[in-house]
Amino acid sequence: MTKRKLILGVVGLMVFSMLSSSCKKWLTLQPQDGITRQEFWKTKEQIQSAVIGSYASLLGDPNGSDKSLSEYFFLWGELKGDMITNGIGVTNDELDVMYVNTLPTNSITKWSAVYKTINYCNTVIDFAPGVLENDNTLTQTQLKAYLAEVRALRGLMYFYLARSFRDVPLKLKATSSDVDLIQLPKSTGAQVMAQVEADLKYADSNAVFTYGNAAIDKGRITKYTVKAMLADVYLWQDKYQEAADACDFIINSGQFGLVRGDDGWFNTLYYKGNSAESIFEFQFDQQKLNSFYGMLTTSRARFFASPYVMEQVYTIDFVDDTKKDIRGEWGSVRTSDNAIWKYLGVNPGSIRAADASWAHWMVYRYADILLMKAEALNQIGGRGTEAIQLINTVRTRAAALDATNTNPDPTNKNDMTDYILAERARELSFEGKRWYDVLRNAKRNNYQRKDILLNMVARAVPGARQQSAINKYQNPDAHYFPIYFNELLLDPNLVQNPFYK
Amino acid sequence: MKKLVCYLFLPLLAACFQPVFAQDAPAAQTILRGKITDKKDKSPIAHVSVAEVDKDGRIVRGVTTDIDGNYALKISNPNHKVSISYIGYKTEELDLKGRTTLNMAIEANTANSLNDVVVVGGRRTDNGNLSISDKNLTIATAKIQAKDLEELGAASIDQALQGRLSGVDITSTSGDPGAGMSIRIRGTSSINAGTNPLIVVDGMPYETAIPSDFNFGTADDQGYAQLLNIAPADIKEIVVLKDAAATAMWGSRAANGVLLISTKRGIIGKPTLNYSFKGIRSQQPKTIPMLNGNQYSNLIPEEVMNRTGTPLNTQTVKEFAYDPNDPYNYNNYGQNTDWIGAITQIGYAQDHNLSITGGGQKARYFASLGYFNQTGTTIGTSLTRINTRINLDYIVSERIKFRTDIAYTFTDNPKGYSPGSQANEIRNVALNKMPNMSIYEYNEQGILTPNYFSPSQNIQGQYPATYNPVAMANAAKNRVYGNRITPHFNLSYEIIPRTLVLTGDIQFDINSTKNNTFLPQIATGRPVTETVVNRAYNGDFDGFNVQSKTNLVFTPQLKGEHNLTSLLSFQTYDNKTISNQTLTSNSASSLLQDPASAARTQNQDLSIAAGFAQTRTIGLLWNAQYDYKGKYIVNGGIRMDASSRFGPAQRFGYFPSISTKWRVSAENFMKDVKFVNDLSLRASYGQSGNSPRYDYSFYNNYASNGWSYLGQGGVYPSSMELSNLKWEVIHGLNFGMNFIGFKNRVNIDLEVYRNRTQDLLFYGLQIPSFNGYSAVDMNVGVLDNQGWELNIMTTPVKTKDWVVDFNFNISQNQNIIREMSPFYPTQNRTALTANGQYQAFLQINNPFGSIYGYRFQGVYPDKASTIATDAKGAPIIGPNGQAVYMRFNYPQTDYIFQPGDAKYEDINHDGSIDYKDVVYLGNSNPKISGGFGPSITYKKNLKITAFFNFRYGYDVVNGTQMTTTNMYGFNNQSTAVLRRWRNPGDQTDIPRALWNAGFNWLGSDRYVQDASFLRFRSITARYTFDQKLLKRIGMKSLSAYLTAENLITFTKYTGQDPEVAPRGITGPFTIVTDNSTTPPVMMLTIGLTTSF
Repeated sequence: MTKRKLILGVVGLMVFSMLSSSCKKWLTLQPQDGITRQEFWKTKEQIQSAVIGSYASLLGDPNGSDKSLSEYFFLWGELKGDMITNGIGVTNDELDVMYVNTLPTNSITKWSAVYKTINYCNTVIDFAPGVLENDNTLTQTQLKAYLAEVRALRGLMYFYLARSFRDVPLKLKATSSDVDLIQLPKSTGAQVMAQVEADLKYADSNAVFTYGNAAIDKGRITKYTVKAMLADVYLWQDKYQEAADACDFIINSGQFGLVRGDDGWFNTLYYKGNSAESIFEFQFDQQKLNSFYGMLTTSRARFFASPYVMEQVYTIDFVDDTKKDIRGEWGSVRTSDNAIWKYLGVNPGSIRAADASWAHWMVYRYADILLMKAEALNQIGGRGTEAIQLINTVRTRAAALDATNTNPDPTNKNDMTDYILAERARELSFEGKRWYDVLRNAKRNNYQRKDILLNMVARAVPGARQQSAINKYQNPDAHYFPIYFNELLLDPNLVQNPFYK
Repeated sequence: MKKLVCYLFLPLLAACFQPVFAQDAPAAQTILRGKITDKKDKSPIAHVSVAEVDKDGRIVRGVTTDIDGNYALKISNPNHKVSISYIGYKTEELDLKGRTTLNMAIEANTANSLNDVVVVGGRRTDNGNLSISDKNLTIATAKIQAKDLEELGAASIDQALQGRLSGVDITSTSGDPGAGMSIRIRGTSSINAGTNPLIVVDGMPYETAIPSDFNFGTADDQGYAQLLNIAPADIKEIVVLKDAAATAMWGSRAANGVLLISTKRGIIGKPTLNYSFKGIRSQQPKTIPMLNGNQYSNLIPEEVMNRTGTPLNTQTVKEFAYDPNDPYNYNNYGQNTDWIGAITQIGYAQDHNLSITGGGQKARYFASLGYFNQTGTTIGTSLTRINTRINLDYIVSERIKFRTDIAYTFTDNPKGYSPGSQANEIRNVALNKMPNMSIYEYNEQGILTPNYFSPSQNIQGQYPATYNPVAMANAAKNRVYGNRITPHFNLSYEIIPRTLVLTGDIQFDINSTKNNTFLPQIATGRPVTETVVNRAYNGDFDGFNVQSKTNLVFTPQLKGEHNLTSLLSFQTYDNKTISNQTLTSNSASSLLQDPASAARTQNQDLSIAAGFAQTRTIGLLWNAQYDYKGKYIVNGGIRMDASSRFGPAQRFGYFPSISTKWRVSAENFMKDVKFVNDLSLRASYGQSGNSPRYDYSFYNNYASNGWSYLGQGGVYPSSMELSNLKWEVIHGLNFGMNFIGFKNRVNIDLEVYRNRTQDLLFYGLQIPSFNGYSAVDMNVGVLDNQGWELNIMTTPVKTKDWVVDFNFNISQNQNIIREMSPFYPTQNRTALTANGQYQAFLQINNPFGSIYGYRFQGVYPDKASTIATDAKGAPIIGPNGQAVYMRFNYPQTDYIFQPGDAKYEDINHDGSIDYKDVVYLGNSNPKISGGFGPSITYKKNLKITAFFNFRYGYDVVNGTQMTTTNMYGFNNQSTAVLRRWRNPGDQTDIPRALWNAGFNWLGSDRYVQDASFLRFRSITARYTFDQKLLKRIGMKSLSAYLTAENLITFTKYTGQDPEVAPRGITGPFTIVTDNSTTPPVMMLTIGLTTSF
């Protein structure tokens, strides 16, 4: 009897141990909301959605914990410039940047949003080629076209970083596992720019000309987008012939043209977006609004157009007030309160509703290309007249006032530089380009035109802080942001930018 | 195939029992007849159970007597016994011996025979698996009888336990009804928040975790802590397992200690009805005195003037115009409002508990019904709870026993609306709110209307930083409903009687929580286009939890003085949580409060979300306890844990433990030491593993973007694969001493311990963001958590009439980092150039809690005093021959100190206050903490119990003082600022008012204070009525009591509540900051306990 029970007990124990061997299966659980990497990267459609995911991250942080990239690019491009002034809602960090008092603790200098998008691009670059094994319908050309998109996007991100921080770490592999985590040192600005060029050149030879849909051609990267980026990158690196060639590729394609400067100009170009003039825009829409509405309108607005914009940049025709630069009042600025109109208007005089704040973020458009080419031609030398013609194309469309035409001597590089820069300010106001334009022109030929920068600071920074700001800008290292202090705490290999040590 | 094995398992288990039922072949049937009568009056008794019982005590067949007391019972085996039982009578059991007639007179039970049947071998402590007598316990435990706590006005048992057990630190996260509690056993072994211990109720773990994705729409998951929704009246005793050898029994979730709770069970006897009542009155003590409207309106223009140099323009800032010609603003901004007072009320609570208990030889029952209702001291907060429990024991035979426990709890908990961050909680906003503002709006004619005065914004800002707190308290909603049902089934079978016992437990736990919040426009005053207007949220979270435990206990009957018990246990855990959340806004009216009513959903701020998560774990444990002569005792075991939260490579963990005890007093040489009743020494070592908090973290997960791009959906890698993540292992070392002496009147427990956490799990460790992620969960280093505990229980007086007990506990605990990953930062992320910031460093081999900052030296009275001086006190002269004035952070910030500014010590005498002048200011680790209290009993009728708790030698940052005296923004300030610096020459300790500028409230020793305290926690007087007296009115017992709590606190600390640190020190960079604005709530409880 007892024996029998003992045996039964032993059998029970054996069942236990068999159970524990089947534990493995019982313990393997898969997440139900989302998909794992092992299940992903099987079809070309999945590559496409990962590529789209990279673009989508341009509109906002997927986790919602950071500012959107367009907001960073606006702040980086305009705060240090001379075209905006602070409203009551401005943060102390923003004021500090405007007053040339950026400390490493300034949250404007966080670069995490940019690197997040870089990581999404890296993920596609690392894993998309593996799909070839699983999906027979994916061709090499298609794969390369996808890779061209994300490499161009990664190039653009590093281009922003190099222009804002100069020396930054180059992370070119995806972080997909905690094994991939590394502590990198900085690469020099030149190394970063070389990488940007390499990415864009790959994209140049592999990107598609069109996706067969006008809106998608403006929202995703085409060969023309890559050319526009290349033109900008070459200009930054003082490679003028290459820049002019890249611009010519776009101009000669016949795919783009300026929007006619009539009554519907503003609505077509800025409210609707994706016009014939546009080359690349971040595609905000009703379900993903940009952050500009609260930033620029409410009674606690953070920024307004500086009075200098209407007084000096566009000016007013005192003789005949029907003559107006269309880019001034109701183009860039609502003159009644100096609100920055580009992101707020529907038409001259009528404002967007709060839930219609989907103005696209312009990265490149045709007018920019024309002016970039003009700048390149001026530097190449001997082609100043050609440059003047390009500028005039832009000015004619905008009905620019004569008062802003300085009639420079086409052979005088310095006068031409000033003229082109001023025209860029008029044409591309509040599009996040001002600081980079000023810095590019100032730093050329070993800071030959530092005066441009110092004059701008003298204009933009209030009296009490002017001298200290000018003194700081005497040192070229101060033209770049410090690395956010928290990054330094986390990575002993990172060294603070020299001015902020 | 493997699945098949699973399905085979159950039938096999059932097969184990098969032979029991088919043991002996039945013999020829006979019939037994007879009559049952009362022994006293010889009258026949009806409905008496007469049953044939086999040798294991199992009923084979039974009948009941008729109205004349007659019965006839078919007998299947003449060797069996017959059992005669009737409620209120003694049960008789007789051998049949071939009888065919059996007349029986049975005797009534005496009234007082209401005793628990288990009175064998002294007190025993259950570690949840093995029941071991207290004498032979080799592990560190603390134990408390629920009886000792029932007088307190606590809604849950965790509140009542506060400060009662050495080494157990329980603090409330807020004083509102239903707020969660944080429980720490011996500090934290992990440097993350949320390290609550495992709660085990009647031998099965009790789920207290909240799914990680369930946190939007509310401030923090602590708010959901439905922790321990067991009525305190149902609890019999609580045991805390403290050392790792003890917690090793429970595996991965027990790494932070175990709280074992046993509920009351049925006992043999006539049904006894118990009723207890508690009535509680709670009151918020006076808050810090704040400026009234006039004083405030005086301060703000001065503050702005000091900054801008020009007077505040009251043409645009109407708030301070005080212009009688503008009756609207004159009235609305011309009041002296006590905002705190306007949202405070006196809280009342009532607690009713009705239970019935009783049973016979075969079946016992305990059933209870409780109703608890509490209104909080802040308007709009309350808690209603209804709970029922039924615990049934059925003894089939001496070898087979069933237990069925079913508990159900319903809670309805309206909390204050939480606008997102703690700073914007209603009491904080009320404290900071402009006192010159009116609660209700005056119209243009200056006539008071019944509408709340909620301007969309004013000088103080707008929602969420400020709003109308009275409107918020009355009109906003944040209600949590909970329904939880936990059926628990247990079967125990003695395979070999008294030697091999198999116990199977299975517990289901269905927990449904619904949270409903609504933010009305009338509280925020914002325009209707914004999403903070009529914002409605509905969150539903359901947890389904199945746990099983199969124990095989082997106790061989050894010869001589050897005793051995061995346990094999197999445990499974499967927890599923499903959540659904909806957030909409802008419904048409403040009365349409459900997200289902037509409202706006299309906005990135609003969302609909659903989540699903599942966790499974398996534990296999072997444990054995051996003792020789009760002198040398060894307990050892090993546990295997496996968790679905790990990838296959790291999934299994093996954790051994060993503990020993030497009873010195049992040795021969101790025989002559008469005053020692028991003296033993204990040593233990154990490992336990902690698994990560989140599911699926070992997958590289891809999620869909929350928005489309060009109408196409995108996917992004939302989390990286954590393939390096492994078990966090806690190596616990404990030495203990127990002493009982002087006729059992002195009882001393001393414990010294060190818990070393290896591969410390750290959640959200910051990493360089160029990796594409800014944080990762990682095993980062080695943390020690060490300390000692002393617990003394004495009975100094014990006479016929008087019994005086005195209990005392004291403990110390420290956290020290031994090793750290290079990814872990070495200092906290603060800017010492900003006001209100303190520095903390990661110092290997040093305890946590050190605070660094500037040294405050008062206020510069005039211009001359701001001249910088060198080490000798002589003025520093600049290159141009002029005196140099003190500056802040030269050359980066380069602020020149002005008269009336705060003065900081220039440690290095360089004329600039900067990071070089930062010094050590204090440490937030209490040197000791503990509690003590006497209990005096007179003639068994009157009992007075008092309890004190204390902490000694620790510094905290008085955050309230900082924010109420900084005069930096437009928040209301305390009356201390009335003595602020105003004119050159003023000698004071409060700097000038300076709006949004200056460095008057840098992190300095001005706010670091010694917060040692002694608190008179509670006092109770209880009167128990005499049994004899009660018998006459048909009652079994009756007692009444009165308790007062939080009467007085002795401290030098100037803040509101020195018992801060809701979470204490949780990491190397914790700066313990006291932001409390009122002392703890004073409570008065009256109670009544009766039984019939």
